Amino acid sequence: MPELRKDPIIGRWVIIATERAKRPDQFSSSYAEAPAETACPFCEGAEDSTPPEIYSVRPRGSPANSPGWELRVVPSISPFLKIEGDLERRGKGLYDLMNGIGAHEVVIETNKHIANMADISEEQISRVITCYIDRMLDLEKDRRFKYVLVFKNYGWSSGGGRVKHSRSQLIATPVNPKRVKEELSGAHFYYDYHERCVFCDIIKQEMSSKDRMILDIDGFIAISPFASRFPFEVWIMPKKHSCDFTALEQDRRRDLARIMKQVLLKLKKGLNDPAYNYVIHSAPFRRPSKAGYWKSVDYDYHWHIEIIPRLTRVAGFEWGTGFYICPLTPEDAAKFLREVEV
Amino acid sequence: MSELRRDPIGGRWVIVDTDHPHRPEDYEYEPLNWRGGACPFCYGNESMTPPEIEAIRDPHTSPNTPGWQVRVVSNKFPALQIEGELDRRGLGIYDMSNGVGAHEVLIETPYHQKDISDLLDQEVENFLLMYCRRALDLARDKRFKYIMIFKNFGAAAGASLEHPHTQIIALPMVPKSAAEEIKGAQNYYEYRERCIYCDIVRQEIQDKERIISENKHFLSFCPFISRFPFEAWIMPKKHSNSFCNILAEEVPSLASMLKETITRFKGIFAGLSYNFIIHSAPVNGESGTEGYHWHIEFMPKLMRVAGFEWGSGFYLVPTPPELAARYLREK
Repeated sequence: MPELRKDPIIGRWVIIATERAKRPDQFSSSYAEAPAETACPFCEGAEDSTPPEIYSVRPRGSPANSPGWELRVVPSISPFLKIEGDLERRGKGLYDLMNGIGAHEVVIETNKHIANMADISEEQISRVITCYIDRMLDLEKDRRFKYVLVFKNYGWSSGGGRVKHSRSQLIATPVNPKRVKEELSGAHFYYDYHERCVFCDIIKQEMSSKDRMILDIDGFIAISPFASRFPFEVWIMPKKHSCDFTALEQDRRRDLARIMKQVLLKLKKGLNDPAYNYVIHSAPFRRPSKAGYWKSVDYDYHWHIEIIPRLTRVAGFEWGTGFYICPLTPEDAAKFLREVEV
Repeated sequence: MSELRRDPIGGRWVIVDTDHPHRPEDYEYEPLNWRGGACPFCYGNESMTPPEIEAIRDPHTSPNTPGWQVRVVSNKFPALQIEGELDRRGLGIYDMSNGVGAHEVLIETPYHQKDISDLLDQEVENFLLMYCRRALDLARDKRFKYIMIFKNFGAAAGASLEHPHTQIIALPMVPKSAAEEIKGAQNYYEYRERCIYCDIVRQEIQDKERIISENKHFLSFCPFISRFPFEAWIMPKKHSNSFCNILAEEVPSLASMLKETITRFKGIFAGLSYNFIIHSAPVNGESGTEGYHWHIEFMPKLMRVAGFEWGSGFYLVPTPPELAARYLREK
């Protein structure tokens, strides 16, 4: 019998379609051939092929935009949003619009031409985490922005583009994204009623039932969420309550890097190097001067990372309706990933 | 400067690239590739599907044999099952229910390679009428709250079988996006005592720049807040919250609008894969839906939705709807 499961945070129902279930090892990761790779603008020595860097890690103190770096952040060459200008909120008949102001940056995670973050060292991943935090804190200073979304597209079918060099992106937006708002208000609603954080409750339940647990190490857990939208969807959450990713202490960044690398390696090994996306969900910028602006977010929200391997084609109707049919139970997915040795 | 546009119904923001808009030839989409092979939906293969639920057939032909024009069968791999009482329960902090529902497949034509644009108007009318008949029949089952009618055409759009077909899913609850849309429309309705979709129709007819085509009863246009490039909506000009209440005289008008829209798309994008969804009011006792207005949302599959979109609910639209409408209008 298939099951309908409800996401406890935002209330979305998904169908866990056991009738059409495939075995975990039947998911193929190569449904779309990637086109040939073009010359890499992100490798060491190609610094001229990107816009001037915003941030870099240069242990030997080499000059900006020259070789000798371990990590670089540059503005996107084709930004969705632009940094200069005013928002100019306005109406147009019954529609509302504003200028496309924002920041769009690319984090080049390594100077080597490595495609998958799973193959980058733990130490380097922890540098990437520190870089995310530094950039988010810097963008927070710009009062036009409300949110920074950190995400990664790996592989052609995830929207990763022709160049394979491992990188992630940051987009600062002048409005709170809808998905984030839904999570914030869902979590707030739960807190209002229970006086507990819904994510902390999820962590407790997952730690006691273990059915959906993939990894539990060093203060972080990786789970297959109860109402997974996609097969092998994985969430990584800090066990200690915190709404804000940028508040992650220095000495815990290496622990986060470790669990991220292990999850990504499990996906790579177990599912034949699938394309994937991940996104960090953290609290929006909290500016004390604004009335009623996510006041309780410290208590009711909990940052986390959502990882989605691209194993099935997402039908347009799923984007159109917000209604997902997942052909694998999260329990089977977690069991499979638990057993992949890395 | 690109633009951020706000959906007046759901409150979603989209980013529209007005600076360097993509032209149709800039999209690297996956073209349709007919593989052929044994097809359970083809004429003569009726025994390869579950027994038919309903069909439009020649007189004196029996079910599950040739002689049909439109055929509805149960999905062989249903996402939901028809038998059983709805059993909602909790599991710790989680809520769940058994997967009660209906999952039907409507085979639009006996011909394997005929898309809607290749059918006669009358053939399109036939399957639209069948949509209606199935939706009305399923709505008699009081366990169901929402009837979702959608089409995935082409592997890139998620179709697992090539033969043109539409899926009909009856759900025991209202899906999240539909519920949000209805709530957004209802809020507007209570505040202004007007339907927001009627206001959109009025504004689009006046602005003209996003219109693709208009006939007696329907308007097709690229919505101001498109989430996908070249997204198109087909909307009845007259207010009605439910697709099933379509009048007999409106059906030919809808059929020709649907066929025309798809023909225009194919003229620009050869071998296009696409999805469309009929957005309609819930069934069986959901109140507060008089401010809703049914419509069809058509989404050509031109891009892969990437991490930013699913993570944020923000959409990036590389072709402004005004430009998309111009291409489609001039085709």
